Amino acid sequence: MANEDVQKTLAELSRDLQESKARLEEAQRVAHVGHWEWDLDTDVVVWSDETYRIFGLSPQERPMNLAAVRAMVHPEDRESLYRGVDEDLVAGVHPNAEFRIVRPNGEVRTVYSVTPKRWSSMPGDAKRDASGRPYKLFGTVQDITDRKRAEEALKQSQFYLSEGQRLAHMGSWASNDLGIRWSDDLGIYWSEEVYKIHGLDPQNGAPNLKQYLATIHPDDRASMGETIRVMHEQRCGCDVTKRIVRPDGEVRYVRCVGVPVLEGGVFKAFHGTTVDITEHELLTQELRRERAYLTEAQSLTHTGSWACNLLTWEILHSSDENARLYGFDPSQGAIPFDRFYNAILAEDEVALRAKLENAIREGADYDVEFRIRRTDGAIRFLRGIGHHNPSQEIGEYVGITMDITERKRAEEEREKLRQLEADLAHINRVNMMGELAAALAHEIRQPIAASITSANACLRWLARDPPDIERARAAAARIEQDGNRAANVINHLRSFYKKGTPPERGIVDLKDIIREMTALLRKEAVRHSIKIYSELHEDVPNVLADRVQLQQVFMNLMLNAIDAMKDTGGKLTISSRLTLEGQLVVSISDTGVGLPSENTEQIFDAFHTTKPQGTGMGLAITRSIVEAHGGRVWATANQEAGATFHFTLAARVEADT
Amino acid sequence: MKSAAVPTVFIIDDDSGMRQAIHDLVESVGLRSESFATGEEFLGARHTGRPSCLVLDVRLPQMSGLDFQRRLAETGMQIPIIFVTAHGDIPMSVRALKSGAVEFLTKPFRDQDLLDAIQQALERDHTAQEQQREIHDLQERYHALTPREQEVMTLVVAGMLNKQIASEIGASEATVKVHRGHVMRKMQAGSVVDLVRMADKLKLPPRK
Repeated sequence: MANEDVQKTLAELSRDLQESKARLEEAQRVAHVGHWEWDLDTDVVVWSDETYRIFGLSPQERPMNLAAVRAMVHPEDRESLYRGVDEDLVAGVHPNAEFRIVRPNGEVRTVYSVTPKRWSSMPGDAKRDASGRPYKLFGTVQDITDRKRAEEALKQSQFYLSEGQRLAHMGSWASNDLGIRWSDDLGIYWSEEVYKIHGLDPQNGAPNLKQYLATIHPDDRASMGETIRVMHEQRCGCDVTKRIVRPDGEVRYVRCVGVPVLEGGVFKAFHGTTVDITEHELLTQELRRERAYLTEAQSLTHTGSWACNLLTWEILHSSDENARLYGFDPSQGAIPFDRFYNAILAEDEVALRAKLENAIREGADYDVEFRIRRTDGAIRFLRGIGHHNPSQEIGEYVGITMDITERKRAEEEREKLRQLEADLAHINRVNMMGELAAALAHEIRQPIAASITSANACLRWLARDPPDIERARAAAARIEQDGNRAANVINHLRSFYKKGTPPERGIVDLKDIIREMTALLRKEAVRHSIKIYSELHEDVPNVLADRVQLQQVFMNLMLNAIDAMKDTGGKLTISSRLTLEGQLVVSISDTGVGLPSENTEQIFDAFHTTKPQGTGMGLAITRSIVEAHGGRVWATANQEAGATFHFTLAARVEADT
Repeated sequence: MKSAAVPTVFIIDDDSGMRQAIHDLVESVGLRSESFATGEEFLGARHTGRPSCLVLDVRLPQMSGLDFQRRLAETGMQIPIIFVTAHGDIPMSVRALKSGAVEFLTKPFRDQDLLDAIQQALERDHTAQEQQREIHDLQERYHALTPREQEVMTLVVAGMLNKQIASEIGASEATVKVHRGHVMRKMQAGSVVDLVRMADKLKLPPRK
């Protein structure tokens, strides 16, 4: 070969070599892989340009040796790396290592260094000395920092996912075969949490269909099988909640959601989640139960609950009972605020509105009573209690509404009875005044008559010849005594006062009066174990009488009867009959102590009493009232026990009503 | 007037003031007086035969004055009664007067009204006692007659002739004449008219 040719060939080779070297350099740069060569004898380390770059240096910036390289290895990895390398060299294996380096700017990178087998295992390798110990090593170094980071991130996110699943009691699953063929083997993948939810060991692998269905609660098993069949046939998703039974017998509620995965419109697999919702389900059941109790309680107490904005009239919540209070049908859907509001009686609305506006303005709670006209026309009393939560918007209230009609009626009834009682007490006093006046007339007349007579006698003693002074003086002394006696009687009057009420007669229904009196005296009767019976004649006629006075007659006679049975208890019976002459006879009978054995007529006298606390006026008043009505009153002893008081009244035939 | 003849006024009134006042008033006009708080006390006391009257309160604690009046009549004690009351009414006074009360006075009364009533009552009692004495005499005479004479007297009073009487009793006319003479003498009757009046006073049962 000619020298020129050789020269030329050499030049070409050199060019080729340069080109290949450049390509190698380029490849290394792109792949972040550099190479190195270490002469163990001279301790010279040769790096490729990329190696320099990996180490954060400019290509060929300075020559390297082992110490220089060592200095750049991360301090924590340094020792283990070099001990490993030495051991490998001694053992004759080829050291591969992953370690961190610190670039001059402080940046930490992770690199992977590989010593290819081919190089050192080649027999007759010039890079080994005579003893076979390598004297030169060659290897690559790759910057794997980014890959490492990605791996770390993936690991992290996997950790988070599984931790999340564990925390949420949620597992995920995938089934490849389910859509492709219907077989016992579901070809299923379960995440760890799914195993945990089922109480199964992941080591045993995913269950087949039969095994899977065996985990389902017997009551839910059939429907779950059906669900899976339908998913398979129609390739549709599912969202079912069923109970499973763990191997240890514990029952759990599990919600299973699955969706078909499509690729380019072609079914590939099912994918889904399994969530243990036992706590949630139990809570839901409890809430449902409590809600049922609450509804029941609301209905029992006629109390509705609501939440609304009183400014905007927006109803946020209204219980069924709340609607029923107004006569609305709760099943008809939400009822607008104005329908509730319009039910309020106009005469109550003005005051109510003022109260509500005031409460809204001050952000205060309120407690109001008002009447409504229900859809069926009935007037009901409602009580509304509203609570304003300061953290809420202005006008936003939560509260309850109660039907207090019964309580109101009872209150009214009580008030009426109380009034009646007061009236009776008053009339009792007034009538007592009449009796008193009569009794007092007698009491006063006696001393006055005595003193007049004594005065007459006194004059006659003085008129004698000679006058009998001694007798006259004695007579005068008696006059003084009797005068004082009369004055004392009058002093007794001071304990009574008078408010005159002329009697007013009208047509009175006896049954009404007896009902009222019975109601009035029931408490007193019950306290003494006395039962009150009314055995009125069916067509007991109305009478023309002063209603209040007649009430008083009943009151007195019934109280008398109760007094007579105070210590023994017994029966109080009110009966009536009509005589042939058209007189109405009312009898009030007791089973008490009975009448005094004699002088029964006297019990009707004023001031005649057998009771320590008695005024002796009750029966006297009764008699004067009955007699003023043209009737009479008398008492008879009962055959067995107690007494019966009778009185007559002129029956009034209802002709002029 | 002998003291034995001084009439006594009895007073029954539960009101002591009134009782003493009437008692004093009665004595101030020179009459005797005895007073009692109750009817029982009055009945328990001994009573002389001299003229008397009773001033009675209508309203008494145990028994009303009207009931007491009835009870007195039942026991045969005849004493004129003057009612006094602080509390009277017309039906009550009518009832009292119908039952023989002398007067019915309402407290307070004029003293003279009471004294007049007492006077009237005492006179009535005097007369009554006279009549009582007369009847008593007549009864004694009548009982002195033989049964036959009593029989004849009854028939004479009935207006029968001797002849009729004879046939009635189955005796001779002469015998009847003798009986008749005895009757007229024993009864101290001056004429048949006299005898008839006596029979009336004696309340002899009419002929069967």
